[in-house]
Amino acid sequence: MTSQAVGRSPAGAITVLLVEDDAPTRWRLHDALAAAPEFEVVTAATLAEARAALVAAAPQVLLSDLQLPDGHGSELIRETRQRYPKTEIMVISILGDEESVISAIMVGATGYLLKDAFPTDIAATVRDLVAGHSPISASIARFIVRRTQGQPASAPAPALNTARLTPREIDILWGIAKGFSYADIAEHLGLSRQTVPGHIKNIYRKLEVNTRGEAVFEALQQGLIRL
Amino acid sequence: MTAGTAEGIPSVAGNRVYRAGGYVLVQALIALCCVLLLRQSPPEAPARYRLTEAMLVEAGGTQPANLPHHYPSRFTLNDPPLYRLTFERQAGEAGQAWSVFLPRFTNGVEVAVNGAVVLDSRRNPDANRPDRNTPEIASIPAPLLREGANELTVRLFVWGPLTGFLDRLYVGPDEALRPAYSRRAALFLTLPVVFSSWQAILAVILGIMWLKRRHEPAYGILAAAMALGTVQAFVSAPMGQSLFAGLNALLVASAPLESAFVLVFVLLFLGLKPPPYVAAIFIPGLLIVAIGLLGSPDMVRRAYLLLGPPTVGFCLVAVAVVVARSATTRRDAVSLFLGSAITVVMTCWVHDMLSVLNILSDRRIFIARLSYSALLVAIGAGLTWRFASALNEVDSFAGRMVGLVREAEDKLRTSFAREEERARAAALAAERTRLMRDLHDGLGGQLVSIVALSERNGPGGETIGEAARGALRDLRLVIDAMDEIDGDLMLALGSWRERTEARLRPHGIVLDWRVLTPEGLPLHPELRPWQVIQILRLLDEAVTNAVKHAGARRIFVGLETVAPAGEPAYGRITVEDDGHGFVLSPDGESAANAPRSARGLTNMRKRAATCGARLAFASGPAGTRLRLDLPLRFPDAEEPVR
Repeated sequence: MTSQAVGRSPAGAITVLLVEDDAPTRWRLHDALAAAPEFEVVTAATLAEARAALVAAAPQVLLSDLQLPDGHGSELIRETRQRYPKTEIMVISILGDEESVISAIMVGATGYLLKDAFPTDIAATVRDLVAGHSPISASIARFIVRRTQGQPASAPAPALNTARLTPREIDILWGIAKGFSYADIAEHLGLSRQTVPGHIKNIYRKLEVNTRGEAVFEALQQGLIRL
Repeated sequence: MTAGTAEGIPSVAGNRVYRAGGYVLVQALIALCCVLLLRQSPPEAPARYRLTEAMLVEAGGTQPANLPHHYPSRFTLNDPPLYRLTFERQAGEAGQAWSVFLPRFTNGVEVAVNGAVVLDSRRNPDANRPDRNTPEIASIPAPLLREGANELTVRLFVWGPLTGFLDRLYVGPDEALRPAYSRRAALFLTLPVVFSSWQAILAVILGIMWLKRRHEPAYGILAAAMALGTVQAFVSAPMGQSLFAGLNALLVASAPLESAFVLVFVLLFLGLKPPPYVAAIFIPGLLIVAIGLLGSPDMVRRAYLLLGPPTVGFCLVAVAVVVARSATTRRDAVSLFLGSAITVVMTCWVHDMLSVLNILSDRRIFIARLSYSALLVAIGAGLTWRFASALNEVDSFAGRMVGLVREAEDKLRTSFAREEERARAAALAAERTRLMRDLHDGLGGQLVSIVALSERNGPGGETIGEAARGALRDLRLVIDAMDEIDGDLMLALGSWRERTEARLRPHGIVLDWRVLTPEGLPLHPELRPWQVIQILRLLDEAVTNAVKHAGARRIFVGLETVAPAGEPAYGRITVEDDGHGFVLSPDGESAANAPRSARGLTNMRKRAATCGARLAFASGPAGTRLRLDLPLRFPDAEEPVR
């Protein structure tokens, strides 16, 4: 590890902080990333370890689980997002369900990683993220557009504020939810295919809750954070 | 102001004059009809029994008088004038009963034949009432009659306010006179009683209406007028007893009071707000009552003569004017009818007044009271009619309300159903969230650990990892299928595509996903989560077959809406692979050479059948094609599998 603030190591490697309490999963994710030469991975099993690692250096990418032995991953994501705005953050999710992913997005994550994803996919996803391509699943897109339609706030789901989304962004989400490829979506909407991932990152940013108090309050309100 | 409206105003005014003229014309016609009717003579007995020549014996001497005779002198109860008449009785008529018939007199008579009194009308209360045209008939006891000339004396008692009057007399066989008497009695005695009875009944009905509907004082006022009229008609005070002077006064004063009530009623009935000073119209009537209670009968009569007719006249004119105005401005049938009735009463009243003042020389038949009773009965009937119409209106209003309420109920029911649907969706979502959390924390974590551990075990762990991944995939499928997708199967397939792509990537298989028609698959609002699961599992199995058994390198999934000409459109999902396929058994039901995939095919058919979808296979060396045609409407319950 170097002591540089944010950015690549001198070797051009992408620094990754991986926070995961389940050892086999941690090893697995670590191996998947470490197999690629451009990743430099630091792992942490608890919130405390992760915070210590963050003090030492700002990683370029933070991959964090949500359920940690000494706290909730969303705390870590929010802190990192505030301290190191340039760090790309992903939540590690078991099922990629909207509850965990959306609550992470609200505190600053811009993507998610499935724990059982194939090693090559894991590396590719992180690489894409660094390149500015935020991954989004059909079910997450569906969840967000349904919120824009004023669906009943059924279940203790995150209180998403979708008011800032533009009609074009909502159209993109619809396309993703229905399984259209980025190329199809770009063609339908008259966009260039390359701009679609950027739109998705914008969408994530717009869904982020900005102040700490707001985020914690919302999360507590929705029962997302179990203290 | 434009020319059009400037022209409009005079034309409206002109219309009004025109209407008023029409109204007056109609009333004049009615009045004319009344006059013609009044000129009809009341029932008379045969002329040969009529007596017209009499000798009038009074304090001042004896003088001839021709009947009908008006006796002008003032109040002379104590020394009444005496009319002396003679009649002949033929010998041949000895066997017949004879009677004396007095068609009309005011106010009382004592009739004697050959000195023996046969009739004293003062004992008959009805006959004492000057406003009734009471006829009298008395049989003459046979022993009193003599052959040849007989003497008939009539003592005429006169009390105010009327002057004395004696119409022509008839003496003759009873059977010849009685029919005329009966007809007169029916007309002038029975008919008023009938009217009065109606009035009494209507007074009770209207009174009850008013009691239950205090905000409509018109009913109460009319009930009061009718009650007063009924009392006036049925309560008769014996004559000449000062004890009942007050009661008499009340009866005498009833006409001004009644007319005042009618005036107030008409104002209320026509929806006009009676001015406060309208109460003054009751003052004359009440004054007469007060005088009657405190003073002598004579004073009452004087007061009545002074106050009564002007009050009644004023009220009648006021009513006529009010009704006429209403009829010309509103042009409604009710006002016209009321106006016509008032005209009839006024004509009769004028006739009576002229008769009282001896201007109109006739038989002194008073019909104002009779016409007034008829008017009240007509009004009462009209009010009852209006009440019934109002009830009908209420009924139809109630009907309308029932309709509205039903409509509102339906709306409420649908909104309730919608609310229920929302609640159901919310409950489902909540359950899904809870379940997901549980699976996430528990089962999911365990499965991920298994995947991770299996990978560390090297090649030997691959099968385990594959199985664990399969379990995770299934978990995601179930959770996904439980999400509300509002019948848009595309939403469920979108997630399925991602999962399948991730699954195929390690095998190096390309998923060629194409939406062939712009809208993809049609919407199915009736789609249930279990049906979604069936379809997704079916597609999963098709992909599994392609990966495991066919050795495919590329899997094509096409989504489209098929609309055959003249038939409703339905959704179609096509799955094609470029594997080596399998040979279908001759019946096309299962793969002939591969028992494992055979089981898979049967399974897929079952899944399609439970959803009402049609499944078709085509397989050959160049690959396998599966075509799933979705039903027009998904079944509510599972379809029985053949």
